[in-house]
Amino acid sequence: MAKAFFIDTTVCTACRGCQVACKQWKGLPAEKTVNRGSFQNPEDLSFTTLKLVRMSETEIENKLHWLFFPDQCRHCIEPPCLEAAGEPKAIYKDKATGAVLYTKVTKELDTESIIQSCPYNIPRKGPDGSLSKCDMCIDRVSNGLLPACVKACPTGAMSFGEYKDMRFWAQARLSELKHKYPKATLLNPDKTRVIYLVAFNPNLYWDYAVASEREFDITRAVAMQRLLNPLRGFFSQLG
Amino acid sequence: MELTRRQFGQITGAAAAGVAFSGLGSDLKPVMAHARELKTKAAKETTTICPYCGVGCGAIVSTSQTTGRVINIEGDPDHVINRGALCTKGSSLYQLVENKNRLTQPMYRAPGAKQWKPVSWDWALDTIAQRVKATRDATFTAQNAKGDPVNRTEAIASVGSAALDNEECWIYQAMLRAMGLVYIEHQARI
Amino acid sequence: MTNHWIDLKNSDCILIMGSNAAENHPISMKYVTEAQERGGKLISVDPRFTRTSAKADIYAPLRSGTDIAFLGGLIKYIIDKRLYSEEYLLANSDASFLVGEGFEFKNGLFSGYDAGKRAYDASKWAYQLDANGVPKRDLTLQDSRCVLQLLKAHYARYTPERVSKITGTPEKDLLAVWKTYAATGEKGKAGTIMYAMGWTQHTVGVQNIRAMSIIQTLLANMGVAGGGVNALRGESNVQGSTDQALLFHIIPGYMATPATNWPKLEDYLKRRAKSNDPLSANWWQNEPKYMVSLLKAYFGDAAVKENEFGYQWLPKLDAGKAYSWLDLFDVMYNDRIKGFFAWGMNPACSGANAGKTRAAMAKLDWLVNVNLFDNETGSFWRGPGLNPAKVKTEVFMLPACVSVEKEGSITNSGRWMQWRYQGPKRLGESRPDGDIILALGNKLRELYKKEGGAFPDPILNLKWDYGDSHGEFDPHKVAKQINGYFLEDVKVGETLYKKGTLVPSFAFLQANGTTSSGNWIYCGSYTEKGNMAARRSQKDAPNGIGLYPEFAWAWPVNRRIIYNRASVDLQGQPIDRKDWVVKWENGKWVGDVPDGGWPPPGSLQNPDPKARWPFIMTRHGFATIFGAGLKDGPFPEHYEPLECPVEKNYMNPQRVNPTAPMYGTKADAFATCDPRFPYVGTTYRVSEHWQTGLMTRPQAWLMEMQPQMFVEMSEELAALRQIKNGERVKAVTARGSVECTAIVTKRFKPFKLADLVVHEVGFPYHYGWRWPVSGKEESANLLTPSTGDPNTRIPESKAFMVNIVKI
Repeated sequence: MAKAFFIDTTVCTACRGCQVACKQWKGLPAEKTVNRGSFQNPEDLSFTTLKLVRMSETEIENKLHWLFFPDQCRHCIEPPCLEAAGEPKAIYKDKATGAVLYTKVTKELDTESIIQSCPYNIPRKGPDGSLSKCDMCIDRVSNGLLPACVKACPTGAMSFGEYKDMRFWAQARLSELKHKYPKATLLNPDKTRVIYLVAFNPNLYWDYAVASEREFDITRAVAMQRLLNPLRGFFSQLG
Repeated sequence: MELTRRQFGQITGAAAAGVAFSGLGSDLKPVMAHARELKTKAAKETTTICPYCGVGCGAIVSTSQTTGRVINIEGDPDHVINRGALCTKGSSLYQLVENKNRLTQPMYRAPGAKQWKPVSWDWALDTIAQRVKATRDATFTAQNAKGDPVNRTEAIASVGSAALDNEECWIYQAMLRAMGLVYIEHQARI
Repeated sequence: MTNHWIDLKNSDCILIMGSNAAENHPISMKYVTEAQERGGKLISVDPRFTRTSAKADIYAPLRSGTDIAFLGGLIKYIIDKRLYSEEYLLANSDASFLVGEGFEFKNGLFSGYDAGKRAYDASKWAYQLDANGVPKRDLTLQDSRCVLQLLKAHYARYTPERVSKITGTPEKDLLAVWKTYAATGEKGKAGTIMYAMGWTQHTVGVQNIRAMSIIQTLLANMGVAGGGVNALRGESNVQGSTDQALLFHIIPGYMATPATNWPKLEDYLKRRAKSNDPLSANWWQNEPKYMVSLLKAYFGDAAVKENEFGYQWLPKLDAGKAYSWLDLFDVMYNDRIKGFFAWGMNPACSGANAGKTRAAMAKLDWLVNVNLFDNETGSFWRGPGLNPAKVKTEVFMLPACVSVEKEGSITNSGRWMQWRYQGPKRLGESRPDGDIILALGNKLRELYKKEGGAFPDPILNLKWDYGDSHGEFDPHKVAKQINGYFLEDVKVGETLYKKGTLVPSFAFLQANGTTSSGNWIYCGSYTEKGNMAARRSQKDAPNGIGLYPEFAWAWPVNRRIIYNRASVDLQGQPIDRKDWVVKWENGKWVGDVPDGGWPPPGSLQNPDPKARWPFIMTRHGFATIFGAGLKDGPFPEHYEPLECPVEKNYMNPQRVNPTAPMYGTKADAFATCDPRFPYVGTTYRVSEHWQTGLMTRPQAWLMEMQPQMFVEMSEELAALRQIKNGERVKAVTARGSVECTAIVTKRFKPFKLADLVVHEVGFPYHYGWRWPVSGKEESANLLTPSTGDPNTRIPESKAFMVNIVKI
């Protein structure tokens, strides 16, 4: 009964209710920011900003578009970060939901290689040396509630539910939108639990919207881990 | 207050995902202590309407039974307009309430003073009432220049407020009109 | 809103113009998106490409302050292509009414203009009446003096070429918008408008909205599901606070404030024009019941027939004089106001020409500032450029509770009155506003009782028993008072209503002092059946269009879509059979609460004598395309903003609205076609902040997302002025200057007007020096001018001239 998000960027209005709802529920502090000549703020995800609506202005076929991309951890089905960590006390997968979860133990590991392993450029290191990212609101989901960001979304840009339902819904919505947006596509729908639908080339939204070139390619660190302890990755997924 | 058909953020068609840490040795539990208990578990819940724009979204306020202060505010899924959704401002309501920048006592600034001084409610209200009376009595106009009866003072003005509840607005305008004010304005004008 | 938020989903075409719903009313996009998913179109018309434009099917840019040119062109398009519904116009509007010979329009002026007074004699604009005093009609709509033909003649000048020269909108975009929107004139289709301050904050604010109302009438979009004219109110209770009349010109329930031309109650009650048409409900003829009931609510037992129910205890305005925001601060600036309450408001940042407002406050003897946070108003004496030692004003700053710390109701944009409850205990010594008002009223009454004073009667006679058993404000007591009571046993029809019970609806109010009601339009909100605003039923109405009639309560009489009898034909059958609002079935109306229970007329020639025309709030019972009651003409006409970039109005020889209010102090400077201020400026809001920012700037999460004052400009303008994205620059107008961060964006583009290219820049008005504590982020209203709409006197904050300079 693993879970998934479906994020339909075509109806995201960048109200950013999700971005604040995340901080509100988790009690995360605000960052000190400046206006850098953009509405997007903070500039990037951080140890305390786990959900960020990325905004980009672009002209496509002589028409202006303002593209919105609510970025967050994809909760990969086979998470490279989990493999890179190779330590279930640090990074494990929740069996019931498929959520990929980080603990404070991450600070005892080679955090750089974990960060490097992520094809979506998600994990961020905090002042205490540990890593953080979206945890799928595991407390809420375990108690039958929607993740805070999904609950806040007014237009239905974000949905959450059974993986197979989300996968089905994403496909159905994609077919519906194909005539309006011929280049519409789902981003890595078979590899992640956060399925994005975008109307245009994903790179116009964000460099890491779709898995980067390292896509599920194991880094050197992961390869070493596997060599040293072939079962660690397996155990890590039992959570 | 009656909350009907409670579906406080329930995931449609899905049972709670379960809380067991199955498959791991008990020694792993502490480090994986991702809180599986909701911070709102023992809270008192009340419904409210968002105080920002005019859409009128519903929200649920969770208040701690021990501190009497807010733990969490999120959208009310039974509200027929927003169905649980909230925008940026609505989602930050908690921080409007639990905010160290809020005023927590009456303050007074004397003519020419460089600083605020905390004062008691009694003193503040007594003094304001005296100022109102003095200004009103000195400037009250029974008839205008043409001799028409007007029974007013043009030397006191009020602005506000769309941030008040209807009942507060009503008694406020009643009081101002009884005082004889004609310069009564608020956000709707601008 | 004539309709309400959920109803947006029923629309076939949503025009968002003069508002930016995705950013300022984000949850409305739930229903806009739903309409789009059902095949509806979204059109965004805005000087700048916004988050709303990002979701629109069509986006068209227009220069700020030129909406009437744009909409006038649409009126012409609809008439030229005969896309209006003749049947609907005849049944619902004054299109067939004949206008008297006194009306004409020449050289940009309507008849009756007095240049000395900068005012019109509106008596020149009147319908022709028959021997019975009923307007003459031409049901063929051919007479050259009928409203439709006059309308056609008036907008003949609004060609796409000329409109484009004014608005800067490319012709192809104009035509795309006009074509798409005008298609809602088709039978069964509904188009709606979502507007806000982008339309009201102009010297032609009311006429912007009238232009759209005319379009909605032509296209048969009034009264229907997914239609109407929808003002998006920017504050949670600005609808309610207006209904409760915290404004100089009205008392609760939209009745005029007593003035010197009605010295006696009798004069006041007789002032409304009668209708001689037996089929016109002319609902305002009931006003005496509402006025006397209001006086009984104000003054209780002290209000009796012999003392005109206390009418003389209410202050009177000088007839014809304005006491509005701009006037208030003008008088304060001129040293004539001594004491001032800024209650839940931040005038140091909120109104146009805030620099003048701040200077005015320094002339006060005393100021009472009630708020959640310290703000630029309460602390004005230590603001930029002021030496506290020289400011003599005494300031009292009182801490109010946040909404969740108290109980009461607010009314949303869709007229839904909703009850909310207390969650947390109060923070520190903060108190609910109601408590503070009640306590202050008590103190004042004690003082007058003890010492006497000038005309103590209204203060001492004011009914003021709104405390609970602890003496604290009881919102239920006031809510019931607003609803109203039977003060004697009253027999209505066959039913006896007992003294002391709550009045079930305004139909039961009396003009003889036997009922009270603090606000007749809220009568029915708190009855013997309970607190209607607290209802939470999830059940929809039988028409299934999302009215949710038992969720909260809507004024008037829980009607969710007003003017809903315009949604049916003469037989009372819905024009749109699918998304119907009301219908006449077996001798009664079903669906929404109808605009009166009378039967449908059946025909126009031989109407059922028991029928009443559908627009019951107008004198003659019809929607008025010809707006004879306005200060600036019966038809909307394009005039440039007071500060504009063009020497000439391409539509007529008058550049600026000839009736726009002007102020003459040195703080009121303005500049038109002045090379020192070459760019059009406008103001707006962003999702992350609210109004002057007083309820958002002290919040770290929101400041994180929009930390600083900014100015948005095109890449072209930035290149011209060598300004880099993210650079700090200074915006300067004839009145003030503000430091901003430049956002250089593709979302603003230069406007190509007739013979010139005009750049426009935009500012959020959320900032002020008090928060953030750096003191560097200031209010955009230091830039905006002291003029406004002649009808509403809402300031022209949306179009002015500005320069952007490097620091």
